Amino acid sequence: MTPRTRARLRPEFLATITATAAVVATMAVAAALLALGGHSPGEAFAALARGAFGTWDRFVSFTLVRATPLLLTGLAVAFAFRARVWNIGAEGQLHAGALAGVAVALVLPGAGAVLVLPVTLLAAAAAGALWASIPAAMKTGMGVGEVITTLLMNFVALFLAQFLVQGPLRESRGVFNQTDEIPAAAHLPALLPDTRLHLGFLIGVVIAVGLWLYLTRTPGGFRLRAAGASVKAAEVSGRFSVAPVIWLSFLVSGAIAGLAGWIQIAGVTHRMYEGLSPGWGYTAIAVALLARLHPLAVVVTAIVFGALSAGGGAMQREAGVPEVWVRGIEALVILAVLTADRIVQWTTHSRD
Amino acid sequence: MTVAARLDSITRRFGPVTALDKVDFELAPGEIHGLLGENGAGKTTLANILGGLLAPDAGRVEIGGQRVELRSARDARALGVAMVHQHFSLVPRFTGFENVALFNGEAWTRRGMIAPGYRSQVEAHASELKLDVELDAPVAALGVGERQRVEILKALMSETRVLLLDEPTAVLAPQEVDGLFAVLREVAGAGTAIVLVAHKLDEVLAVADRVTVLRRGRHVLTEEAAGLSAGELAEAMVGRALAAPSVRGQEGRLEADSVPVAVLGDVTVGTGDAPALSDVSMTVHRGEIFGIAGVDGNGQRALAAVLAGTLKPDTGTATLPGEVGWIPQDRGEEGLVKEFTITENVALALHEKPGYRRGPWLDWARIGGTSAALVDDLDVLARSPDTSAGTLSGGNQQKVVTGREFLRAGELLVAESPTRGLDVKATRAVRDRIVQLARTGNRPPGVVLISADLDEVLELADRIAVMVRGRLIPVERDDHNAAAIGALMLSAGDGTP
Repeated sequence: MTPRTRARLRPEFLATITATAAVVATMAVAAALLALGGHSPGEAFAALARGAFGTWDRFVSFTLVRATPLLLTGLAVAFAFRARVWNIGAEGQLHAGALAGVAVALVLPGAGAVLVLPVTLLAAAAAGALWASIPAAMKTGMGVGEVITTLLMNFVALFLAQFLVQGPLRESRGVFNQTDEIPAAAHLPALLPDTRLHLGFLIGVVIAVGLWLYLTRTPGGFRLRAAGASVKAAEVSGRFSVAPVIWLSFLVSGAIAGLAGWIQIAGVTHRMYEGLSPGWGYTAIAVALLARLHPLAVVVTAIVFGALSAGGGAMQREAGVPEVWVRGIEALVILAVLTADRIVQWTTHSRD
Repeated sequence: MTVAARLDSITRRFGPVTALDKVDFELAPGEIHGLLGENGAGKTTLANILGGLLAPDAGRVEIGGQRVELRSARDARALGVAMVHQHFSLVPRFTGFENVALFNGEAWTRRGMIAPGYRSQVEAHASELKLDVELDAPVAALGVGERQRVEILKALMSETRVLLLDEPTAVLAPQEVDGLFAVLREVAGAGTAIVLVAHKLDEVLAVADRVTVLRRGRHVLTEEAAGLSAGELAEAMVGRALAAPSVRGQEGRLEADSVPVAVLGDVTVGTGDAPALSDVSMTVHRGEIFGIAGVDGNGQRALAAVLAGTLKPDTGTATLPGEVGWIPQDRGEEGLVKEFTITENVALALHEKPGYRRGPWLDWARIGGTSAALVDDLDVLARSPDTSAGTLSGGNQQKVVTGREFLRAGELLVAESPTRGLDVKATRAVRDRIVQLARTGNRPPGVVLISADLDEVLELADRIAVMVRGRLIPVERDDHNAAAIGALMLSAGDGTP
């Protein structure tokens, strides 16, 4: 082995290439499958694109609005994964945050309107963090793997939400399994006039920038990246204990996922009901992986998935392609990214 | 003489390191052949080549008189070569019998069941070899010695021409060692050639018929065990002539105004029969290099961690400086984050320091400056400080670790096997820097050099102690007889070499 000074691409550049290649590959496979299924791929993709980007309003009021919960949960997952904390529980933390936000908004009687939003946002973040703290305690205290615990906590949260909207928090009319509408003071204001885009998207972007700055510019973020890359090196060469880093990543991740749930209600649905999330907390894993866990890239990948979601409906209406195809395409994206990642690893490390 | 296996002029390199250099090795049927050498002498590499796990870069392998090319352990097994590794390969939840059957093809019927008669075959074979094996308990419930017997039986169920044992006694209690040797004599008596990789001299002399010594990848001697003494073997292993000309340590250079920078008093870590550290006391002074020689796994890890302040003694006192430089043993896993750039790896030592912050932010410009200076100063061969550490060669990685830990070594540097696996040039560079660190300036730090390489300790250290089974035994610098120290390193550690 001679001393090697072999060029290595910058990670961000590499990430862009992989992500692009993965998306192109996905489109090719999806086109083939659509053709096999008797649909015209060109027509389907055109309808999807029109639905997602066709007009300014489609883009802002549909794509970006649908991207918002994915952006927040995607950031939550990316941050935890950076510390090699495999938080699969964004879905549960999202529900915990949603419940806490709704409960506080409904209970808080005639509080100053200015205060309602900050208080509910705080409550949602705290509830998400609290939900994540249980797997965190089990991991740091007893060495229980967080993949299982965070996943199982999702079901607990889901059933808790079901119970609450069928019982204690059920609307006063008692017709549907949903809560009363939250007071107008708790609504998130529109971000752009005459669109459905709400402040939540901006909150997501601000958090993305904040996480990026934290990870790259602060001692704490540096420790988190080191612990995520190698626990042994962190402890021996970094001389710091990894447990606080793990706690922090759990709590911050849970808090952001918790915000995602409440922001969806405060910005879009204005009530909590069964089946609030179509599985954002799980799609978030794909969003984060596709972004290679880079917070700023999560903004982009969340918009890609938001576009798929917004375009899916249009594809069904205009090209007659059932919307489930979109779920299939999402799955293909995940497979393509994982494959591309592995190929990159092979090519860069095979000679070591 | 018939030959069970022969290695002819075998050479094997790992990167810049030549692990085996034109080594010849011959095994007679029915002999127990002790394979001796220090850490890194090439013993395990040689065993792995014979066991089919490694391919030689040059040279011939012959088994049973036939030249062979082994591509895998399976190839070797098919030719009658079985290997028992230091770390056992048993399925913990399976019973001893299931483990034996699992690894032996002839135990299975076509339908994937264990053949009905196999159990009695196994039992018969075990009693033939006088091998007392617990067949019905899950392996997880067995002690280490019992597991080893399962492993040996597993290896011997098929016809075995050569049995390779890699450090089989390292994990055993003394009385178990006697039992193992009785089994080995039985196995050899049946015609199997046994290679016993070891570094405890007395044990090898007790059981082996012949002994081969390797030193730094070269063949030193092969002789009948009966004609050898422990002293001669130790000398062959550590070499005698090498230390004298290059000694840089200076006995007694600190007598008068030596300032202690680190003091350990009766430090014990771990409990039970084999504590990691047992009543260790030592004082390190400014400007001295305190060399600690010892075979790996005798408590050096714990000692380094205690000195670096990351491990608290269970009993005893440790008076240490606030910050300690620590070049850890495993640079790839502990010394570096391979995914990080050189600068980020340097930042591991700087990220807590106020001087490298601006408000809440890390001052990457300053960290980058320090890193660039370090790369420059130590001749790290890299395109830039932004090169990812994982792409550097071992020597350059070690220079980065060394340079970074020097930043912390205002008072004390702990260097753990700092040149292991490095080529000659990088070894010299790292050693030079360590000596320079301890010898220059008004307030040079104290250096603790922990190494399994006795030559390194003899060359660099001002004072020397030997670490054996968690105890630290001081030796006089002026009777730095390599063979005597070597024998102490390889002794039982009761203080009587």
